[in-house]
Amino acid sequence: MKESYGVRLPGLELDDLTGKLIVLEGTDGVGRSTQIRLLKEWLEQQGHAVLDTGLTRSGLVGKGIKRAKEGHTLGRITLSLFYATDFADRLENEIVPALRAGFVVLTDRYIYSLMARSMVRGLDPVWVRNIHRFAPKPDAIFYLRIGVDELIPRAVFARGFDYWESGMDLYSAEDMYDSFRKYQTALLQQFDQLAEEFNFEVIDARPEPRVIFEQLKAGIERILAPPVPRPTLTAATGALEALEELTVQEAPEERRKRA
Amino acid sequence: MKRYGDHRIPGRLFVVEGIDGSGKSTQLMLLHQWLKAEGYGVVFSEWNSSPLVKDTTKRGKKKQLLTPATFSLIHATDFADRTERNIIPLLKAGAVVLCDRYIYTAFARDASRGMDPEWIRELYGFAVKPTVAFYFRVPLEVAMKRINDARAGFKYYEAGMDLGLSDDPDESFRLFQSRILEEYDKMIPEFGLTVIDATLPIETQQQEMRLMVLAKLTQAKQLRVAP
Repeated sequence: MKESYGVRLPGLELDDLTGKLIVLEGTDGVGRSTQIRLLKEWLEQQGHAVLDTGLTRSGLVGKGIKRAKEGHTLGRITLSLFYATDFADRLENEIVPALRAGFVVLTDRYIYSLMARSMVRGLDPVWVRNIHRFAPKPDAIFYLRIGVDELIPRAVFARGFDYWESGMDLYSAEDMYDSFRKYQTALLQQFDQLAEEFNFEVIDARPEPRVIFEQLKAGIERILAPPVPRPTLTAATGALEALEELTVQEAPEERRKRA
Repeated sequence: MKRYGDHRIPGRLFVVEGIDGSGKSTQLMLLHQWLKAEGYGVVFSEWNSSPLVKDTTKRGKKKQLLTPATFSLIHATDFADRTERNIIPLLKAGAVVLCDRYIYTAFARDASRGMDPEWIRELYGFAVKPTVAFYFRVPLEVAMKRINDARAGFKYYEAGMDLGLSDDPDESFRLFQSRILEEYDKMIPEFGLTVIDATLPIETQQQEMRLMVLAKLTQAKQLRVAP
């Protein structure tokens, strides 16, 4: 059972989705991908099928966005819409089908990052929220929160300054360091507002990865159904029958009707 | 971010709308020739032509990857790029900008594909309101005959084949385009579209268009390029 933030897309039913949608949000370099990797492994060990996904990976526009960003010529409205197109493509072709098949979908960023970036670039908050209203509401949103001072060594020492992560399209007169500071500070402010509006579970991202991982695990355990009981010799027959029944009932039907 | 109707810029924006085969592109070309000859700084912008976006759209159409949602969003992206990079700066500089298809095309097509009409209108909320939006109204049969005379068959998305209305391209085109005509009719009062009867002789339509454009240009003498 899922619902969107208010806009229904034709042919995309959300009310028969049995999987769980789990979002990791946070700014650049905060350690999201490390956590996704750990969580995927852990969830699979628990018997859950996992799809991990992120921004600009769609088959339709992923390449187009990369090419356009290389030229540094994208306007801010254009960039927002390009990302929204990419998101819609992944939603329809990856996320929703996986949720329909009962997967746990772990997504590295979601519409909130897209909204924060657009608003930092001065776009109308009402307009920005509207574009993303077709997104399904996640089962949980974990926000890995960090201050800009702690962020700098992590994001920068490891791989240097990135043009877009430093917001150089916004503050081109500054050097990369000053620009990065300003941009990331503005982003963090937006995230803090979104955290309240969309009920993020805030997790302090300063401790070492293992500590954060334990917190995320605890949060995810709360929303997942209890794991499949380990089959034992005595219970095996009964459990198998129960499983068969389940598969018959929940056989995912192809419900992508065209309007 | 300025919204529809809030832009205060010296240039003039004229757009043409209508279904395929309505003759709108021919009319816009004739208007363009005349404005150039009159010495105006004129720039032409076509639907779906952004150099950054159109390859993605083309690939999506060719491989039939587009759903109503991504069809809508990729066209909005294309339009945003042209608006941010061309239309707004040119209008600020005092140019006459001519657009073959504008946001009303998206409203008509996307609503016909089942997208939420209010959502689409807000999506395009950044668009500049045209000085005049001409709508070339034509009965479906006339438009279909014109297209068939000019080229062989309808294109996949143009005929709305993605909606599965009919396996026959002609029938699908008819069903899809009649939905679009209904959407256009609803938009005439909503956006104050200027209706031109597209069954009239080409010269008559052009005459009407030029009179209306001229009325908007005389209010803005500074548009004329110095000889």
